Amino acid sequence: MVLVKPQHSSVIYITLLFAILLMLVPLPDTLRYARPEWVAITLIYWAMALPQRVSIGVAWFTGLVMDVVTGGILGIHAFAYALVIYLVGRLHLQIRQYPLWQQAFTILSLVSLVHFIVMLSAPISFSWNHWLTVLTSTLVWPLVYAVLRKIRRSFQVS
Amino acid sequence: MLLAVVASLLLYFLDTRLDYFKPVRMTLSTVVYPVQKLASMPDDFTTWFADFFQGHRQLREKIMKLEAQNLTNSVRMQKMQALESENMRLRELLGSSFRLQERVQVAELLSVDLDPFYQHVIIDKGETFGVYEGQPVLDSLGVMGQVAEVSQFSSRVVLLTDPSHSIPVQIVRNGLRAVVTGRGLGENLQMEFLPHNADVRVGDLLVTSGLGGRFPVGYPVGKVISVNFPQGKSFAEITVTPAARLATSREVMLVLPGEKIDFGITFPLQIEESDLPALEEQPAADAPITSSEENN
Repeated sequence: MVLVKPQHSSVIYITLLFAILLMLVPLPDTLRYARPEWVAITLIYWAMALPQRVSIGVAWFTGLVMDVVTGGILGIHAFAYALVIYLVGRLHLQIRQYPLWQQAFTILSLVSLVHFIVMLSAPISFSWNHWLTVLTSTLVWPLVYAVLRKIRRSFQVS
Repeated sequence: MLLAVVASLLLYFLDTRLDYFKPVRMTLSTVVYPVQKLASMPDDFTTWFADFFQGHRQLREKIMKLEAQNLTNSVRMQKMQALESENMRLRELLGSSFRLQERVQVAELLSVDLDPFYQHVIIDKGETFGVYEGQPVLDSLGVMGQVAEVSQFSSRVVLLTDPSHSIPVQIVRNGLRAVVTGRGLGENLQMEFLPHNADVRVGDLLVTSGLGGRFPVGYPVGKVISVNFPQGKSFAEITVTPAARLATSREVMLVLPGEKIDFGITFPLQIEESDLPALEEQPAADAPITSSEENN
C-alpha cells in the first residue's frame, strides 16, 4: 500500500471542490432541506476506494472548508467528516464487498451521523423535514458511486 | 483521529468563545470567497442571459415604468424634504436631537445557499467598503437584518428570520415597544414578551425603535398578521410578517453610520443632478442640527 505512488490525486480534490459547489448552488426554499450531502458522500467514496489517499486529514480539512463556506461554527463539519472517514477507513474492505443496496444503507447511517453532529450545533427545534437530506443522499449514492468510479478509472487515480 | 477530534474541539472552542479569533475567521472567509463566487455563477449567468435576450419592447416598458416610478418618487421626495426640515426645526425647538436621513450603500446578494439551519446570506461588499459587524441591512421595503461577519470582499448577513436574531421594534399606531424574533426558514417572525392586555391589533405596522442603538429609527420591520392570547401562557402569541422581501431581494442597502449627510449624497440614485443645486440651499437650515448632535 505504502509503495503505491500517488497518481492524479488532483482529480480527487477537483471532485471535492465540485461537491462543495453543489452544496452552495442555490435551491428553492422547498428543496433546501432535501439537498444531498454531496461532500460527505464524495469523501466516503474516495475513502472507500483509495483509503491511503483520502484519510482523516483530508476529510478534516474539507470539513473546515465547508464550515467556513457555509458560515457555521468552525470545527463542526470538520469533526463530522473526520469521524465518518475514520469509520470508513476501518470498514472499507467490508463496504467494498457489499452489493449496492447494502452500501446505500451504510451511506444512510454514515450520512445520518454527519447530519446528527451538524444538527447538534444548530439553533433549531427538531423536525423530520431536516432529515430529508439523509434520504436524498442515500438515493443519489448509486449515481455518485457510478460517476466517481468512472472518473477514477478513466483518470487512473490511485 | 484523536488529532482531528482535538483540533475540531479546539476550533469550536476558539470560534465560539474567543473574540480575538475573528481575524482568523475573516481570513478564512476571504480565502473561500472565490468558491462562493463560483457557486453563484450559474445563477448570475441565467440572470444575465435573461437580461440579454429581453425583448426591445419589454425593456422599453420597463424603462417607462421605472421613469414613472422615479417621477412619483421625486415628487414625494420634495415633499419629504420640506417635511423633514420642518420636523427638524420643530425638534430643534424642543431641544431633542434626531436624525431622519441615514447614508446608505448598495450591495448585491451572492446567490449562494448556506447552511439551511441558519438564515444567512452573503453580500458582495466587505471590509474594503467599510462594512462592519452589526451594520443594519435594508431593502427597499424594510429591514432585512444585520451584518454578522465581515471578510475582505464579502460579508455574511443574518436575516430577521434567523432564530438567533431579535430586533427592537415599536408599533406605529401607539408607540408600544417590543422585541421581534425570527423563527427559522420560511416562518414568520414572532413578537415576544407582550402581556395579554397589550394593545396589539392585526394589521399594526412595526418599525424599528432605535433602542439598542444598532438599527436606525423608523424603518419598517413588518406587519402583525395574527394575535392570540393562549390560555395558561403568560405572554401573547403575536405573529409578524416581515416587510422586506427576504427571499427575493437581490440588492440590499447597508446603512452607514455618522452625521447627517446632505440629501443629494444620501440618495444619489433617486435624485437627478439637475435637482442638486436646489438642494444646496438646505445646509443652512441643517447646520445647527449637526452641531447639536455633536453635543449629544
